[in-house]
Amino acid sequence: MRKLRRLALGVGLAVIALTSGCDRPADTSGPVELTLWKQLTKLEEPAYQAAFARFNAAQNRWHVTAQSIPQGNYTQSIVAASLAGRLPCIVMVDHPKVASFVWAGHLRPIDDLVPAATLAPISPTALGRYRARIYSAGQFDAALAIFARRSELEKLGVRIPTLDAPWTLAEFDTVLERMRASGTHRYPLDLSTRDLNPDWWTYGFSPMLQSSGADLIDRTAMARAEGTLNSPAARKFALWFQSLFRRDLVSRREPDDNAFVSGRAGLAYTGNWWEPTYRKALGNDLLILPPPDFGAGPVIGGGSWQWGIGSQCKHPRGAAEFIDFMLQPREIAALSDQAGMVPVSEEAAALTSEYRQGGKNRVFFDLMRRFARSRPETPAFPVISGAFTNALRRVMEGEIVEDALDDAVDDIDQTLADNPSYQIQPGANVRPGARQP
Amino acid sequence: MSRTIARSQHGGRLALLFGGPALLGIAVFLVLPFLLALGLTLTDQRLVSPEPGEFVGLRNYERLLSVSYLVQEPESKVRGELRPTAPVYSRARAVIRANPAYAGYRPLADFRLGESRVTVLAKDPAFLRALFNTFTFAVLVVPLQCLVALGLALLVNTGLKGQTAYRAIYFSPVVMSMVVVSVVWVFLFDRDLGLFNKLLSVASLGAFQPIDWLGNSSTAMPAIVIMSAWQGAGFQMLIFLAGLQGIAQELYDAARIDGANAWQRFRHITLPGLKQTIAFVLVVTTIGALGLFTQVDVMTQGGPNEATSTVMFRAIQRGVREEDVAYGSTISVVYFALIVMLVLVQRWTSRRLEGRPQ
Repeated sequence: MRKLRRLALGVGLAVIALTSGCDRPADTSGPVELTLWKQLTKLEEPAYQAAFARFNAAQNRWHVTAQSIPQGNYTQSIVAASLAGRLPCIVMVDHPKVASFVWAGHLRPIDDLVPAATLAPISPTALGRYRARIYSAGQFDAALAIFARRSELEKLGVRIPTLDAPWTLAEFDTVLERMRASGTHRYPLDLSTRDLNPDWWTYGFSPMLQSSGADLIDRTAMARAEGTLNSPAARKFALWFQSLFRRDLVSRREPDDNAFVSGRAGLAYTGNWWEPTYRKALGNDLLILPPPDFGAGPVIGGGSWQWGIGSQCKHPRGAAEFIDFMLQPREIAALSDQAGMVPVSEEAAALTSEYRQGGKNRVFFDLMRRFARSRPETPAFPVISGAFTNALRRVMEGEIVEDALDDAVDDIDQTLADNPSYQIQPGANVRPGARQP
Repeated sequence: MSRTIARSQHGGRLALLFGGPALLGIAVFLVLPFLLALGLTLTDQRLVSPEPGEFVGLRNYERLLSVSYLVQEPESKVRGELRPTAPVYSRARAVIRANPAYAGYRPLADFRLGESRVTVLAKDPAFLRALFNTFTFAVLVVPLQCLVALGLALLVNTGLKGQTAYRAIYFSPVVMSMVVVSVVWVFLFDRDLGLFNKLLSVASLGAFQPIDWLGNSSTAMPAIVIMSAWQGAGFQMLIFLAGLQGIAQELYDAARIDGANAWQRFRHITLPGLKQTIAFVLVVTTIGALGLFTQVDVMTQGGPNEATSTVMFRAIQRGVREEDVAYGSTISVVYFALIVMLVLVQRWTSRRLEGRPQ
């Protein structure tokens, strides 16, 4: 019995020791420890470690200790840590999940701690907003584009589009049809539909929906998808999307990611992260083009990984100082130079080698500044993303377009009806005197 | 007398002591979560939410299991046109949405009844389809996998040279990660570059039209069945092998002396000798098949057109990915009840069969 009691005591102590691991009380002599969680990435890891070291060396009040968590488990880890009350001070969050995290109480606003002068030049989609407050800010964004071969487009005799005059939908269709007729490729276009992850489908194809004049949800109150996601404009887009597969212009599932590089596909619609591979394979023949204008102007997805402050953080000022440091142009530029991401402010872009005026990847920065649109900032986003992906995949498989969209609308509206607190009540939740961005 | 009682009490205590760790594990990791899930099904709890879940009664069950129907007359008949070649009906989904009495319902399937079209409606047709898919999978994979396993076991039990190596090879897919195996098979099944289509094309001298195995509603499930049977058969092979080695060699020798040929020996000695093993293997494989998830998650995500969506996949999809943990729990609880019923029916029938007079 006594043994058992001693064992219980031991276990209890171990639990206490474990739970008190985060945010140790400040040691009066040294800097205050701030824990940071980010998702583990291969390429960017050294760049981040160097940046954290620079922050730790630049001042002596705070010391950031970074923990990298594998990508697949990242969101689940945040949720679990938050439920357990052990969320770290600084967390990296994916932009479309910010609203969810705020609503669930994982994040605190940053706009009262990070200087307005730092946030002002940041590209709008690199800031995570929810109910008129800013909760996160990113050092980088991504940009979608159409990748093509210059020599091929010239041979086909089609106009090479520019940011000011992108292809119209009719022009884009002509390009695809001519490409198919030429028989050079197995399929004219690769849409990465082999990626089954809803994140890609929503990021990649909801901009096309928006460019058609529809959207995932009515964004004024984030209360209804009816009339928006199943509007005539949405149906028109979905019918076109379906026709891509009917006309054999796009493979439903490429066997691997190399369709464009290997020449199986003539065009690729994907993000800037593929540019190094494509440029290595094609050299100067590579063209980076804006996505077509479906009628309401070209749109690309915006919002990537951003820094936020955990709601349970005992030293939000330290976390804010860290975010302020990371958002300085030199830090944004350093990350971009070392890891290749699109910088989010003009000043930072000017400091980079690839994204400055005349740089080889400047087009991505311009695409982002001109055409990026955030995914809907609502806690219902996971449901919206799932419903939209499901609908679009059924459209791809040839199901009746109206049925697929109606089902998605009903899924979303049911969730919104079940969770009234998801909706934006204008004026609610904004503290009096809070600075409006 | 008293000594026997004491011994039996002692035995009971001993049984409890030895069984204790396992029972504790079952209680903590199985019974308790199940009871919690049962409680969750009566609420609208989200996976992550600042608001406590509220009691909603049987709403989740109602949304999961409600079924209704819609009868439609042909459009053209209503308009009084000439007899058309095929009757035309207005879109069922639009009719349902326009009628508040059908709020929440969606078409599941439709069939003709004379002139009119009857559409079966459900509030969650995806779940019912998933249920159907899961049982289809089990019905297809269990016989296939068991037959393959039995065949392999017989093959590696013949006493040929190097049979230990073959055993190891046949067993190796079982120890491979299912995710890895699934990814590899996605390549094998590819329409343009996959091994299967290439082989069939070569074998048919180019006459064969490539099939998009995983992209086609009618071939996706059979493709997963074949892949799963291949992956899992090694495990059942081992069990069969143990069963085979439990059959006395004397029986075969005696049968040979009596002039029985190979088929007769298999039919009258091997099969009866494996009766218990076969029953066990069938149960284990069925239980495994009903939990189908990984292959679907990696290879098809339930597509195309929900043709490979399974109950476990739906439960994870709704409960974790869409964060509706109450609804995900409801799916699990209903599924659990269905499986319990299935097991009871199976036990009852096997008892009846065993108890029947010879």
